[in-house]
Amino acid sequence: MKGLAGFFRDLGRNKAILLMVLPGALWFLIFSYIPMAGTILAFKEYRISRHGFLRSVLDSDWVGLSNFKFLFSTSDAWVITRNTLLYNIVFIVLGLIASVAMAIVLSEIVNKRLSKLYQTGMFLPYFLSWVIVGYFAFSFLSLDKGLLNQILSSIGIDPVNWYNNPAYWPFILVFISLWKGIGYNSVVYLASIMGIDRSLYEAAMIDGANKWQQIRNVTIPMLKPLMTILTLLAIGKIFYADFGLFYQVPRDSGTLYSVTNVIDTYVYRGLKTTGEFGMVTAAGLYQSFVGFTLVLLSNWVVRRFDKDNSLF
Amino acid sequence: MKKRSPKAMGAIALILTAALTVTACGKSGGAAEGTAEKPVNLIWYTIGVPQKDTDKVMAEVNKYTAEKIGATVTLKQIDFGDYSQKMGVMTASGEPMDILFTSSWAFDYVQNARKGAFYKIDDLLKSDGKGIVDTLDPAFLEGSKVDGHNYGIPANKELPAQTVYRFNKQNLDKLGLDFKNVKTLEDLEPILKANKEKNQGVLGLKMDNNFTPFVPYDYIIQGLPMAVALDGDNSKIVNVLDTPEMKQALTTMHSYYKAGYISPEAATTTSTNDVEKTGKWLIDLATTQPLADNTWSASLGYPIESTPAGPSIIYNWSVMGSMQAISANSEYPEKAMQFLNLLNTDAKLRNMVDSGIEGTHYKMTGDNRMENLPEAKNYDMPTFSLGNVMLTYLNPGDPDNKWDEFKKFNDEGKNAPTLGFNFDTSKVANEIAALQNVKAEVWAPLMTGTVDPAGYLPRANEKLKAAGLDKIIAEAQAQLDAWKASNK
Repeated sequence: MKGLAGFFRDLGRNKAILLMVLPGALWFLIFSYIPMAGTILAFKEYRISRHGFLRSVLDSDWVGLSNFKFLFSTSDAWVITRNTLLYNIVFIVLGLIASVAMAIVLSEIVNKRLSKLYQTGMFLPYFLSWVIVGYFAFSFLSLDKGLLNQILSSIGIDPVNWYNNPAYWPFILVFISLWKGIGYNSVVYLASIMGIDRSLYEAAMIDGANKWQQIRNVTIPMLKPLMTILTLLAIGKIFYADFGLFYQVPRDSGTLYSVTNVIDTYVYRGLKTTGEFGMVTAAGLYQSFVGFTLVLLSNWVVRRFDKDNSLF
Repeated sequence: MKKRSPKAMGAIALILTAALTVTACGKSGGAAEGTAEKPVNLIWYTIGVPQKDTDKVMAEVNKYTAEKIGATVTLKQIDFGDYSQKMGVMTASGEPMDILFTSSWAFDYVQNARKGAFYKIDDLLKSDGKGIVDTLDPAFLEGSKVDGHNYGIPANKELPAQTVYRFNKQNLDKLGLDFKNVKTLEDLEPILKANKEKNQGVLGLKMDNNFTPFVPYDYIIQGLPMAVALDGDNSKIVNVLDTPEMKQALTTMHSYYKAGYISPEAATTTSTNDVEKTGKWLIDLATTQPLADNTWSASLGYPIESTPAGPSIIYNWSVMGSMQAISANSEYPEKAMQFLNLLNTDAKLRNMVDSGIEGTHYKMTGDNRMENLPEAKNYDMPTFSLGNVMLTYLNPGDPDNKWDEFKKFNDEGKNAPTLGFNFDTSKVANEIAALQNVKAEVWAPLMTGTVDPAGYLPRANEKLKAAGLDKIIAEAQAQLDAWKASNK
């Protein structure tokens, strides 16, 4: 019984820390680990039993992998996979560059009150729902009443039918995604910059380093572990698209699907009327499985180069 | 925590299992329930905006139903936009409920019947639902059978559906024109043209992104392109986008779009409520019922007139326009049926559920006439969704023969070729999901005239084929043939 006694001794010794972990651990247990059992639905044709949910799950017929077929069966499969991956890669790369740059700029502002003002201003869009952001965008892009078209026609250029013209949307979507997310991410980096030992900068200044050299040789190397971790975590979500961004902002305009259809919107449109839970679960399982594999893979790559920065 | 103790893990597993089973089996049956002294409580989910006075009204309703059938009801409403999704999750997760609203357009009746969400009511109708069987036009119960069984009780209301062109009279009068000669979509041209020239800022053809011009076809699934012709050869399922009628309609729509008769944003417009409020529109498309012009004029606040765009047809979806079903997990299916029977046959109960408490929400002005009191705003229910409409009291302005008009309208409707046939999509579920996506992509731009069908339509048809439309049509055709053979 040494194991059990040791376990309780461990508990006693670390009770303060474990107590702090408890809410988060419970949250994960309830909302992430227990529902994992539900992934068996991906292999079943869900039918409702009159004896409640558990019996419905158990009594439904096994159908093998047929729930996954709709994700791969059409020419759309290529479009949605390409869109999801490419957009997310762009979001990860540009998001990283932009938020680190913004964090450094913010940290260099001497007037602390102004710096706080900018921070708050950049943070605000993060809290807006996509529906509201969609209407924001609409007030700019509306064909007859939009701000952009009014500006265009005032300088003698023909108004553009934004919602029918796929060519512009990759840029619009990337811009809006950055605008919404940058505030949050730069605050995370800013906090890390604030934690950098000031004496490192003093030493650099004594050596004659200018601002640019300080940033390059002190700030960025010190941020590298955080950058790696956040990027690795983002890669885990690379097969999940932000539904609101791709559905609400383009106003579900059919002519834009070639550049706005992603896995999440495809699943929504395909199943919202039939509501086949098995197929929805299958799509989610596929997304998380690919994400999981990619995290393992990229973590392995990171470890080969720099053991200290890897996740595990 | 290097070594996990098996006992600790066992304990956690035990707690989890216990937590799950507690939620699974909570209730047990009683002995002498379901009497006036000890009524059973039925949970009833229906569509519409939740009302402030619901509990007050239900308290009155419960006094009456406890006395009559030994049951009380708890009414819960879910708003129109959320109903399908929320009910889908709630029925699938086994949320306790006894009676629920279902239809062809919200929380799909046929699909959910096949999924097992509803209680099979064939026997209950015979034992506890005699009043319903006697009151309803037989076409209702016959037309709402799924694979030969009844799962829901349609509300007694208008049976056929007829598409009409609605005209905003004020704006039409300004043009000095009338709609006597309007029979087809193309006939609207001169009116729209005059409107464009003379009525500044008045939208010609009002529509949202669900708009579909009327073509004489009977859709196998609402909103998807598989259809059967209403006239001519109605044994073959075709792609409606491939038919000459639809091609012509789309060409006309595109010419209207280019002429500026249609809002340039129609393909992404989800609601035209704001235009309706301002009244700055001339024509739109709607589904009519007897005396509809009066109803529309009253609810919009300005006069509306309409003229048929097509024949009056009894479709599957019009028969299933409003139904109440008994939940598969209901603990008291007999009581639920008794309640539904009473709701569909007893004018007192039906009007209480619909209009509230007499003297508080409405007052009687005649034998079967009522008038709303100011308090009615706290209990404003969608009448059509709560069972037999023909039992409800007449409103001021309704003619005395209102329900006779409805019966006449029902008698005059022609049966659609696939009335009673319900496509079982389980074998082509993957193709349907893919098709829904293509439909979402191409439908609104085509139907609203936003794109030129000359170039866009062939590509759209190609995409539909790539998504598996041919396979779906073949499967539907096989089922339709089998159904026709067994119904001869």
